[in-house]
Amino acid sequence: MPGADKETELSERIEAFLSELKRCGSGAGSLRGSAETARETTSLLRRITAQARWSNAGDLMEIIRKEGRRMTAGQPSETTVGNMVRRVLKIIREEYARSRGSTEEADQQESLHKLLTSGGSSEDNFRQHFTHLKANVIEAINELLTELEGTTDNISMQALEHIHSNEVIMTIGRSRTVEAFLKDAARKRKFHVIVAECAPFCQGHEMATSLSKEDIETTVIPDAAIFAVMSRVNKVIIGTQTVLANGGLRAVNGTHTLALAAKHHSTPLIVCAPMFKLSPQRIQIFLRSFCFLLPGEILSKVNAHCPVFDYVPPELITLFISNIGGNAPSYIYRLMSELYHPEDHEL
Amino acid sequence: NVDKNKLVEYFRAQIREDPDVASAVAAIRSLLEFLKRDQSETILGLRENMTKAIQRLEETDSSVAVSSGGELFLRFISLTSLEHPDLSQCKNVMIERGELFLKKISLSRGKVGKLCHTFIKDGAKILTHSSSRVVLKVLENAAADNKRFTVYVTESQPDSAGKLMAQKLHNLNIPVTVVLDAAVGYIMEKVDLVIVGAEGVVESGGVINKIGTYQMAVCSKAHNKPFYVVAESFKFVRLYPLNQQDVPDRFKYKADILKTVKDLNQEHPMIDYTPPSLITLLFTDLGVLTPSAVSDELIKLYL
Repeated sequence: MPGADKETELSERIEAFLSELKRCGSGAGSLRGSAETARETTSLLRRITAQARWSNAGDLMEIIRKEGRRMTAGQPSETTVGNMVRRVLKIIREEYARSRGSTEEADQQESLHKLLTSGGSSEDNFRQHFTHLKANVIEAINELLTELEGTTDNISMQALEHIHSNEVIMTIGRSRTVEAFLKDAARKRKFHVIVAECAPFCQGHEMATSLSKEDIETTVIPDAAIFAVMSRVNKVIIGTQTVLANGGLRAVNGTHTLALAAKHHSTPLIVCAPMFKLSPQRIQIFLRSFCFLLPGEILSKVNAHCPVFDYVPPELITLFISNIGGNAPSYIYRLMSELYHPEDHEL
Repeated sequence: NVDKNKLVEYFRAQIREDPDVASAVAAIRSLLEFLKRDQSETILGLRENMTKAIQRLEETDSSVAVSSGGELFLRFISLTSLEHPDLSQCKNVMIERGELFLKKISLSRGKVGKLCHTFIKDGAKILTHSSSRVVLKVLENAAADNKRFTVYVTESQPDSAGKLMAQKLHNLNIPVTVVLDAAVGYIMEKVDLVIVGAEGVVESGGVINKIGTYQMAVCSKAHNKPFYVVAESFKFVRLYPLNQQDVPDRFKYKADILKTVKDLNQEHPMIDYTPPSLITLLFTDLGVLTPSAVSDELIKLYL
């Protein structure tokens, strides 16, 4: 039966995606980079919307929430998966409200105004059936996918406004977004880049090689030299793994050190992060730890801790550059409220 | 005038019967009663009566919360009267919405408690100031969640409200220590986080609270400890003080002192203003807000 086939195919794909995510944690999977993960997640969600059995918005949201929970449980440190699920849930809510012809679609958040003027219960359980809802939701998800594809370009386009000739820029580790950003500016400006190598995986080396291929003067420094070199730096431009709801960051280890050094020297710290990295989480839930290869003598006698991520508080950040433009950290809460519905913060 | 005296009596009775109720909620409830019994023929007359009633209430209890509750109610009337220009219909809608509004804001404190207690980790040492019912609710929720934590409360002179708070916490089996107001700097290195309530949240995102809060905020900033404020959304008030002197006198001193004393410079103010730069996060029933988000909320309401 075609229906059953579709369902098994769908669940197979979901299982395949989940195992990819799990393997990605040990660096062995093929889903590298959060942009890839975001795109894969969104395509999968679109497939679920198209192929799963649901009759009203409430059912669809339940299905997506359930799958979303499984996906985030598979790889909790990859927050883009959860973010995309929340974006799709918001899309469903909006399309539902639009189908109902409700004028409240822009005012779905709690506010003082809403408290005063609402007459009667505004409890919406999304149980009404609309024939065009499926098509509308899929169309909106397609728009989301187009947006995702253009993010790196949108960010790189703003590079010329921020980088001037003969500047010294510092960065840490390897971020595809920052790489594209710097390469775009290098087409028209000449500047120097200092890359902190970011032990123990030393991804800074790959970044430096890649940048020097575009004829950008690059210098690699060990992490311990960050403070010493900072006095000669004009700007610090970094990428991040996640942007938290209070404007803080969860970024690769060493970023907090870099941020503190920049604050000390009053050097502006610019974070290039696409909107799909914005996550409604506030606190550090956990800091993943790696124990990589150390000489056997040490391992038997000493505890080795190697956290993968750092928390950077919002006070240390000057500017966020995302695909929708530049924003101050204090404005992140506003962007958050536009992207996600408060009830979806907890999947 | 007789009406206004009855209003004040009603207000005082509310607070007597339920000492746990927020003063703004009691004020709004009294104003709703007043609205039900009001005999004006026009909407303008109704507004005038309400404004006078609110002034009378502010003379009884000069706290910021009553003032913000009153302003909110006035705004509520304006918004409703815009939709229904006919008085009798308008009044019915107002009464219906008013009851709904009251029901919602009575639940605010519970919502704040639920939001905030997740920020309290096991083994945390918390510092708080004076006696706040919202902070009490938060700590109650955290204790019910089986979290172990200890609390330091400042004495909070001149009315020793901190001792009352310590007693209430003791009844909840939470280990609590009372410290002198002057010992805030001394104790700050021991604590992990500071949670205070608020009498009013101003437009800039700062808060107005019992005197001594500003001191605590400055100390916690110096020691890099998070400073959290818990407040319900009806405490948002349209003030923008730039410094301590900017806070209007009618809030700083108790109502009876304002009426009897000639030279206010000799009196001790009961509240101070904490600027938003010292506050880490605000927990309200509208969600967890950064201080910059507060003005957004106020704009949405008043514009």
